[in-house]
Amino acid sequence: MRVRSLAGAVAALGALVLIDQIAPRLLNPYFVTILSRIGIAVIAAVSLQLVNGFTGQFSIGHAGFMAIGAYASAALSVFAGAEGLELAATFVPISVARVAYFPLALVFGGLAAAVVGIFVAVPALRLRGDYLAIATLGAGEIIRIAILNIDAVGGARGFSLASSAHPAVDLRFEGLGGVFAVAALTVLAIARLVYSGGGLAFRAVREDETAAESIGIATTRVKVEAFLVASFFAGVAGALFAHSEGYIHTNSFGFVRSFELVVFVVLGGLGSISGAILAAATLTAAPELLRGLGDWRMVLYSLLLIAMMLSRPQGLLGQRELWPISLLTRGSR
Amino acid sequence: MSLLEIRGLSVRFGGLTAVSRLDLHVDEGSLVALIGPNGAGKTTAFNVITGLYAPSDGSVRFEGREIGGAAPHRISALGIARTFQNIRLFRSLSALDNVRAALQGSRRRGVSDVLRLGSWSASERAAEAEARGLLDELALGAFADARADSLPYGEQRRLEIARALATRPKLLLLDEPAAGMNPAEKQALRELVRRLGAKRGLTIVLIDHDVSFVMNLSDRVAVLDHGEKIADGAPEAVRRDPLVIEAYLGRDGEDEA
Repeated sequence: MRVRSLAGAVAALGALVLIDQIAPRLLNPYFVTILSRIGIAVIAAVSLQLVNGFTGQFSIGHAGFMAIGAYASAALSVFAGAEGLELAATFVPISVARVAYFPLALVFGGLAAAVVGIFVAVPALRLRGDYLAIATLGAGEIIRIAILNIDAVGGARGFSLASSAHPAVDLRFEGLGGVFAVAALTVLAIARLVYSGGGLAFRAVREDETAAESIGIATTRVKVEAFLVASFFAGVAGALFAHSEGYIHTNSFGFVRSFELVVFVVLGGLGSISGAILAAATLTAAPELLRGLGDWRMVLYSLLLIAMMLSRPQGLLGQRELWPISLLTRGSR
Repeated sequence: MSLLEIRGLSVRFGGLTAVSRLDLHVDEGSLVALIGPNGAGKTTAFNVITGLYAPSDGSVRFEGREIGGAAPHRISALGIARTFQNIRLFRSLSALDNVRAALQGSRRRGVSDVLRLGSWSASERAAEAEARGLLDELALGAFADARADSLPYGEQRRLEIARALATRPKLLLLDEPAAGMNPAEKQALRELVRRLGAKRGLTIVLIDHDVSFVMNLSDRVAVLDHGEKIADGAPEAVRRDPLVIEAYLGRDGEDEA
């Protein structure tokens, strides 16, 4: 078992290095950008799945937490990271310093989003159903508009990841390996969290809150925890987005983005991690791949969504998981 | 010694008094039946004991500790488990997962579930074995991997009992466990309840609206009508009580329709 886990980890690492090195050589930069956005969409969608699909709380403001993660990590990089990297470069090669710094920036973005997540979750999760959805939508918009009015991070001009004091330091983070590594870790963490004895609490709350309480599950706490973990990973996704794009604007984190994430989890199947990944990947790629159709592409995209909902209202996979996810959670169900 | 002691309990919803000045004590190891016509306040009493409703008045003590108004999950942790009149299973989860969710051994959510180091898989396997043991005890072993809502009706009722037992309760509250069952199933259920009480040393309070079902089963019968307790005592005595007969059949000369 240990040997097999180790072999799996080595294989995954090998695949990541391969993607990191080969993809940019084979594909033009446009496709590489799409792949990177797929990775980020997967992180955001899988984290939202924890709240919407597994805990049964309908949140539709997830992009707000991506915004927090994006702006917090970007601010860290611009106001402190650039100086730190320049300083570190005098001791170690800059590439080493960058590899050490970026995970830090991502975790910082995630933690910032998680802190805001708590403040939203504690009052909002007292609400149910439609009311909760509206509250989270409102929270997402409040976050976006609040950031829009902070001049230190660019306000309506957007925020560029370049430090005026240290212009030589490149704060952009390129390479698919990193994005997919973070995506893989997110999927691993959430799959294991949910598919375990303890993780049954999330699904129990989704199925029947009264019954869950009656067997000793502190339902409010479980909901807040789900929200906390989800906003952390949304923040990480936002931080990744900021550092791979190099420029962010609050427009990227509006309710259209939130809805897109909801579409990913609903279409993939509420309660299926594999479904969220599949939907996030296809629906991120589809509008780009349909670009050849010109004005008709969004029409086709919408028709695709309608056809999906008509033919499979329970989503692509329902509550099932495909074997790679089962593999990650081996030893439990 | 009284395991459960209810004194002067009243529950009001606006102008409606669902339970009025109820006194009830349940001795450790006993099997008490709570009966009464529909709407008598039996389930409301259960809901107060398990924390779903707060009492408007009066006290509920469990092992000498006041629990009136406490959160349901805390009351469960103290050792009170229940089933529901209208079955409340985790419908899309397997029968096994329904029971596993209730096990104390499953209560490690978070970092250890993600990292899965050391004794994690051992304790996970122990929890699963315990859950399977409970399913076997209630003759549900064959349904372990079936979705809860795909189980036949009687099996769903038993699964609710298995889930309640998984919390390792001292007091088990069964809300109309025999509802919708035919005489043969009722007889089997009676055997099951008796066995659980004897084998596990459980204290059981059971709701039914049918006196005959609880007659050979319970040590004591308490009768509620319109939120008030009208009789409390040995089953035979309660059955002959004129107030009870009146509650069920109506007074002489009253229009039965």
